[in-house]
Amino acid sequence: MATTADHFHGNAADHGHDHAHDHPGFFARWFMSTNHKDIGTMYLIFAIFAGIIGGAFSGMMRAELAEPGIQYLDTFAKWFGATNPDFTTTLHTWNVLITAHGLIMVFFMVMPAMIGGFGNWFVPIMIGAPDMAFPRMNNISFWLTVAGFISLMCSAFVPGGTGLGAGTGWTVYAPLSTYGSPGMAVDFGIFALHLAGAGSIMGAINFITTIFNMRAPGMTLHKMPLFVWSVLVTAFLLLLSLPVLAAAITMLLTDRNFGTTFFDPAGGGDPVLYQHLFWFFGHPEVYIMILPGFGIISQIISTFSKKPVFGYLGMAYAMVAIGVVGFIVWAHHMYSTGLSVDVKMYFTAATMIIAVPTGVKIFSWIATMWGGSLEFKSPLVWAIGFIFLFTVGGVTGVVLANGGIDDALHDTYYVVAHFHYVLSLGAVTALFAGFYYWFPKMSGRMHSEFLANLHFAIFFVGVNMIFFPMHFLGADGMPRRIPDYPEAYTYWNHFATVGYMVMAASLVVWLANIVYAFVAGRQAEDNYWGEGATTLEWTLSSPPPFHQFETLPVIAETAHP
Amino acid sequence: MKPTPGVGMPVDGGLTFQHQYSPLGEYALKIYNWALMPIITVICLFVLALLIWVVVRYNHRANPVASKTSHNTTIEIVWTVLPVLILVAIAFPSIDLIAKQYKPAPKEALTIKVTGNQWFWTYGYPDNGDFEVVSMMLNVPGQPEVNPGTREVGTKPWDGPSHLEVDNRLVVPAGEPIRLQITAADVIHSFAVPSLWFKLDAVPGRINEKVLFVEKPGVYYGQCSELCGAKHGFMPIALEALPRDKYDQWVLTHPGGVIDGKDAAEAAAAPAATPAVATVPVDSPLAASTGAAE
Amino acid sequence: MAGTKNHDYHILPPDIVPLATTLGALMFTTGMVLFMHDAPGGTFVPWMGLALLIASMWTWFSKIVHEARAGDHTPVVQLHQRYGMILFIASEVMFFVGWFWAFFDFSLFPSTLTDVVGGQWPPKAIEAVMDPFALPLLNTLILLTSGTTVTWAHHSLIHGDRDGLKKGLMATIALGVLFSLIQGYEYWHAPFEFGKNTYGSAFYMATGFHGFHVIVGTIFLAVCLVRSYQGDFTPRQHFGFEAAAWYWHFVDVVWLFLFVAVYVWGGWGYPTH
Ligand code: HEA
Ligand code: HEA
Ligand code: CUA
Ligand SMILES: [Cu+2]
Repeated sequence: MATTADHFHGNAADHGHDHAHDHPGFFARWFMSTNHKDIGTMYLIFAIFAGIIGGAFSGMMRAELAEPGIQYLDTFAKWFGATNPDFTTTLHTWNVLITAHGLIMVFFMVMPAMIGGFGNWFVPIMIGAPDMAFPRMNNISFWLTVAGFISLMCSAFVPGGTGLGAGTGWTVYAPLSTYGSPGMAVDFGIFALHLAGAGSIMGAINFITTIFNMRAPGMTLHKMPLFVWSVLVTAFLLLLSLPVLAAAITMLLTDRNFGTTFFDPAGGGDPVLYQHLFWFFGHPEVYIMILPGFGIISQIISTFSKKPVFGYLGMAYAMVAIGVVGFIVWAHHMYSTGLSVDVKMYFTAATMIIAVPTGVKIFSWIATMWGGSLEFKSPLVWAIGFIFLFTVGGVTGVVLANGGIDDALHDTYYVVAHFHYVLSLGAVTALFAGFYYWFPKMSGRMHSEFLANLHFAIFFVGVNMIFFPMHFLGADGMPRRIPDYPEAYTYWNHFATVGYMVMAASLVVWLANIVYAFVAGRQAEDNYWGEGATTLEWTLSSPPPFHQFETLPVIAETAHP
Repeated sequence: MKPTPGVGMPVDGGLTFQHQYSPLGEYALKIYNWALMPIITVICLFVLALLIWVVVRYNHRANPVASKTSHNTTIEIVWTVLPVLILVAIAFPSIDLIAKQYKPAPKEALTIKVTGNQWFWTYGYPDNGDFEVVSMMLNVPGQPEVNPGTREVGTKPWDGPSHLEVDNRLVVPAGEPIRLQITAADVIHSFAVPSLWFKLDAVPGRINEKVLFVEKPGVYYGQCSELCGAKHGFMPIALEALPRDKYDQWVLTHPGGVIDGKDAAEAAAAPAATPAVATVPVDSPLAASTGAAE
Repeated sequence: MAGTKNHDYHILPPDIVPLATTLGALMFTTGMVLFMHDAPGGTFVPWMGLALLIASMWTWFSKIVHEARAGDHTPVVQLHQRYGMILFIASEVMFFVGWFWAFFDFSLFPSTLTDVVGGQWPPKAIEAVMDPFALPLLNTLILLTSGTTVTWAHHSLIHGDRDGLKKGLMATIALGVLFSLIQGYEYWHAPFEFGKNTYGSAFYMATGFHGFHVIVGTIFLAVCLVRSYQGDFTPRQHFGFEAAAWYWHFVDVVWLFLFVAVYVWGGWGYPTH
């Protein structure tokens, strides 16, 4: 980026001189916060907590899938409070697990971590702003996310039709989610999305306003770090897609409780309408989950190559292009619903286009490293892992984009493999990369590089073991969302479950690393990554002062970003 | 009919698609095998190779001083245009495949109605006297009972793989286009047979239509492919394709079954008034008829 | 200069209101679940939640007003608010896109498999629709007029005419209330029911959410009226008023779309009553 420390004329000397009113007591600091860094920290802690719960749910799922037959589901059903579950109730528990897993990972792990956590922490700092535009609204964005999570958790313990909890899948398709699931569970789930969605919309408004209005003098749009660009595009996607989801789930709610028939064929309603509305949100949503990751990766690659990002403008506008095109491809999730031939052809063509700007990103990252002087610190290791794993996930997306091919693959484990490669291996890898990149900045303590790299090595092996064989299972025809399967699928399912255990071990290393950092970690310097780290956060202390940039930094003119 | 192991069903530890038994399935698989799969593999390996190269060549020991290059218009154009060309190349066969998949069945084609229910399938034969077949998953040995009363897999010689075999199969004639009309009675289900490259959602309030063409007689298995509630994983599809004459015989074993308007087997006329057979006791000769046609 | 603010942004002290608002919202949604399933607490928990929600929002917005009076709303902060309001309205537009999407899906592709609809729009089950050129047209005129009265208020404000500001606002509010009353009357006498079929669903939910926005907008304007009596708003700084006006125009435009699409086009040639 253009904003090197040399060009920076801010108040870097002010470290540690905080005002008295900047030290609110514990309750005021954490429950009444209007400080973007504290709110960011809370988002991160919340996301980690939710990630562990969502990860535990996936562990329960992998345990059940390790062998054909039903092994543990009745036990799990009892954990949710079912007494003497019969066979149907037992099976219902499976659907509850996958629903909760999907929703938690998407809405309460990736989104809060990427946007709420890293976005809150570093967007204001990177543009040289003292805080977000609407600090109080920032706080409610966070709390609404928590409220959504609470509502979702409530749903697991109340009746959902054939058992306790909402068993509709994270897509909440009608009419399974309307007359197919009487009981309170789905209503709690719907409100969970309303609450979290309202929080996210307010967050989006906050980020867009902050980025447009609070850039330090000289920080033009074309000088903003790519992470800021990524959050800007993401915020627009949130702003324009979430309200459509809100309308869709409100229709679910009134269909369920107030006698409307939006999705009820008996009153002329159309179940496929729900899918259109959901995916009009849902597809932008998947880019919401990955774009900030792209931004993190760009910062890291540039830092450790000791080079500015290659093709900065192309990188920024590739994200804009992904965002725009992302709004007109939604029906590729609906190829088998009975779309007409022209519609299917259109969505096939439109979907494949997204590979082009994404390719620009992949190749520009590699070109950034090309000619660089690579320093293999843990964030770079994770980032390189990201580039490869995301490519694998992306190209299987292109396979699925072909409507005629998707007829065989839709709703099979091939799709599960695709989206875990872009999410659990893509987005999560980007999260860990960002975590190791910024953890010392946020906490003031250095983590162990050895443990961080060990974490990567084990994680890489583990997740590939879990998810690569799912391509085989899917091609061979194994449907998604089933707790039991024909014997032929045993081998790879078992293999995947073993992979889960490997992956789980890596998370232990990660947690150990955090503990290590707080107990024995060195004090982190201002710029612990050295010369390649040129964005504004590296001009501040680690951790930064409670209020940074009380005198705005001035970003010098440079010839080119 | 007794299924052939490995035909129309997943194979142990399988790595790729099931062998295809419909012309469009073969075409689609060809596109996958000869275009998509090679292209994506090459792209992944290419990206991997580049990554390995930069790691080896441009680590700080090998290259202590970083260059400052951050632009190269030519290369940027190349990596934009090249993917476009690749995608266009993929689009041609892909669009062609879709066009072929949507070619409607000839007027005289046999129509069969498929209805998804929680959690079983019913198959209606409007052109053959409008009788109906109810198809339930067979219980799996050693597992909780899925459908009370249906016998366990493996107890009859024609039984197929566990989790996939049903009491009454969807019987169709082989070697001719069939118009499948698919709908659902309650929530959305999806009718899918991997070895025929066939998947179409059963949506309540809609009738989805698609041509089914099975090249040769055999049994082809699939599973419901849209989450439809608790027993979504327990409503398999077993499709038995018979030569036309055997199919006709099979139809006539059904009360109300007619071929070309002729309710031929006058002998079995007794309950002819009832058009549909809802549930047939499992051990009755009728239920076993799918097997008897072997 | 450490710890001294050298910029025009608004750095806020810690505040409990966001958490209180959230609790109100969560209590409201939870209460609604109880209410919808006739569970214990269903009759009062939603009200308590709503009360907490409204009280918190009241506090929150009052704080904003006080901060404005205290001079915290520097030009750049006002710019934030403009962006915030525009973006909020953009998200509201997308919310209505969802409802219009449902309406056009039902009206352009009416189901042929259900007798209730019978492949036609309005559906068979609907015997008569509202005559768009009776009360709905009047409502259109009312809202259009209210758009001009709010502009009158704005111009008066800019030109220092406090009296005109108040009158303009009062007229706008009165028109808004009149609109809601007529809408309520129409609902009461509509020849078709809520829900039951796609017409009742799409019609009432789309116009109902619009009506809800009219009420919110009316309250917003009423607050502005009260504030103008309290001496708030200067010809140069009056974003609270402008936000209300923007919102009102947005509500107006949504109505025009509803009127043309749902009332006129969606019931064309159908018996009215
Ligand atoms: C982070 C999330 C994320 C991302 C980034 C993507 C990215 C893509 N996805 Fe994915 N997708 C999901 C998350 C994501 N997806 C989820 C969660 C689902 C399932 C939802 C559910 O049903 O529950 C899903 C499902 C899904 C489907 C529906 C499958 C089905 O249900 O039948 C399809 C179909 O088109 C699809 C396509 C794509 C494509 C084309 C991309 C593209 O954006 C990928 C582009 C990237 C590359 C192609 C790699 C890099 C490019 C190059 C190296 C250049 C050269 C490449 C070529 C020329 C090909 N996705
Ligand atoms: C981001 C999204 C995400 C993530 C990370 C994961 C992670 C995992 N998922 Fe996935 N999954 C989904 C989203 C995700 N999943 C969705 C949307 C579905 C579809 C649901 C449906 O059908 O409705 C699904 C479905 C799904 C299925 C299919 C179920 C079925 O169809 O029947 C399976 C089966 O094995 C599975 C397994 C796993 C496993 C083993 C992991 C493991 O990788 C989990 C291990 C945990 C982690 C790797 C996360 C750790 C992260 C943190 C602790 C936070 C870190 C935070 C910071 C660094 C700040 N998942
Ligand atoms: Cu029927 Cu899934
Ligand atoms: Cu998508």
